[in-house]
Amino acid sequence: MTERWFPDEMPMPAANAETVGWWEAAAAHRLVVQRCTACGHLRHPPGPVCPRCRSSASEWSALAGTGTVYTFTVVRQAFIPSLADKLPYVVVAVELDGAQGARIVSNLVDVEPEEVIVGMPVEVAWEDMGPELAVPRFRVAGHRGERR
Amino acid sequence: MTPPRGRRAVIAGVATSDYPHLPHLSEHAVHGQSADRALADAGLTFADVDGFATTGFFPMYATGVAEYLGLHPIYFDETNSGGSSFEVLVEHAAYAVESGAVDVVLVTYGSVQLSQMGRRLGTGGGGGGGFAPGPAIYDALWGNTLVGNYAMAARRHMHEFGTTPEQLAAVAVTMRHHAATNPQAQEREPITVEDVVSSRLVADPLHKLDCCVISDGGGACVVTTEERAADLPGDPVYILGAAHATTHHLNLSAMPSLTVSPAAQCGPVAFARAGITPADVDVAQLYDSFTITVVLTVEDLGFCAKGEGGAFVENGGLEIGGRLPTNTDGGGLSACHPGMRGMFLIVEAVRQLRGEGGATQVPGARIAVAHGTGGMLSTGATLVLGREAP
Repeated sequence: MTERWFPDEMPMPAANAETVGWWEAAAAHRLVVQRCTACGHLRHPPGPVCPRCRSSASEWSALAGTGTVYTFTVVRQAFIPSLADKLPYVVVAVELDGAQGARIVSNLVDVEPEEVIVGMPVEVAWEDMGPELAVPRFRVAGHRGERR
Repeated sequence: MTPPRGRRAVIAGVATSDYPHLPHLSEHAVHGQSADRALADAGLTFADVDGFATTGFFPMYATGVAEYLGLHPIYFDETNSGGSSFEVLVEHAAYAVESGAVDVVLVTYGSVQLSQMGRRLGTGGGGGGGFAPGPAIYDALWGNTLVGNYAMAARRHMHEFGTTPEQLAAVAVTMRHHAATNPQAQEREPITVEDVVSSRLVADPLHKLDCCVISDGGGACVVTTEERAADLPGDPVYILGAAHATTHHLNLSAMPSLTVSPAAQCGPVAFARAGITPADVDVAQLYDSFTITVVLTVEDLGFCAKGEGGAFVENGGLEIGGRLPTNTDGGGLSACHPGMRGMFLIVEAVRQLRGEGGATQVPGARIAVAHGTGGMLSTGATLVLGREAP
């Protein structure tokens, strides 16, 4: 159990029929994306229907939890007052390995903002937010340092 | 579809409210002021209005404003696509009058965002507390901001095409140059590229001066038929073509490419419906929430190739006499941005086509484009307007 990276005022995940399986996997520290069992298309965020073939049949496909930085920003002005003392922080879009181009938005942690570049390899760094809730943040691949 | 003879849609009147700071007015009063002025501009009265359109951030918003204005319309519309909403509402209004359903649609916008929220918010809010159900949660957990989302698109554009902060800054410099001759503009002091890139970073790579102002203000326009406009004192502006598109809601993770906006989809359709090409456009009013928004839009509407937007906008490319005179009122970056700026694009496009552009009039402008962008580059809506009948 690590320290909460963002304060309690941040939104909490509220799972629905399409996303509950994703959050259950996350709680077990497994990063998954939805896989259409009819055509094999991988998609994220989860949804009720495959946008490619319209099938509603899907399963959870486990990923390695690695990827590359597709794009990022360094947030330097907080609009949620309680985030002010976290500034600056990095919001990243990660192109996930083995996910057919699917991307996930998250934070890149344990990194100096000036070091972040597009294309940088990253890996998932799970943050437990409660007994049945974990969120996937990312850090630079191979990084073993302390959380900033 | 060709409308019945005489029923081609036109804009017969336009107006902006007072702006950019209206602490003495309610949001509804801004609608009212805009409506009064646009109807007067058209030579019409409230009694002539049988259709009404507006949108805001509450359900049944249009009915509330209609009540305030004392309207009992037989057509109303409150489609909300964020910043592009008013281009969509005018497109819908055009279909409504062309079909014969109604004769006069009043479209109004009003906001007192600046007075309500204060300057503290600076560049637009986003996120904060509560539960986010469904897919929206996947982007809501990370403390990203509205400007942060556009910053991520800008970063990707820089990576793919070598676009520079100085090229983005050129957009803000030109908007300020145009704003200098607009007495109502919120910011009128000239700025340089160096000023923009040395202003503080809000969300890398976007600086404070890459972001729009936050204002109070509104506007209105009157959509009617060519036949009805023939009896009115002013010259109508024709709605030659229109289209809108969406690629995702508010999740950047669901956006197909961060360097292609929905303008790439709706722009060519609107141009085809108008029977024009980008080369025919004399003046453009393009949503400029952030400098990157304009760079993406000039590419996606086909004014230059994908990736060449940075070079297109620099060195005065968007000035009068430049490659594409754009945002002749000073835009959202300098003149006025009350949250959903789309109505201002339409008003300024019509003024240009009527030769009322003042110091920033594009000489002999015949065809204008107004393009709105909404959400997190989620929606786009293009209107092609013309001085002459198609």
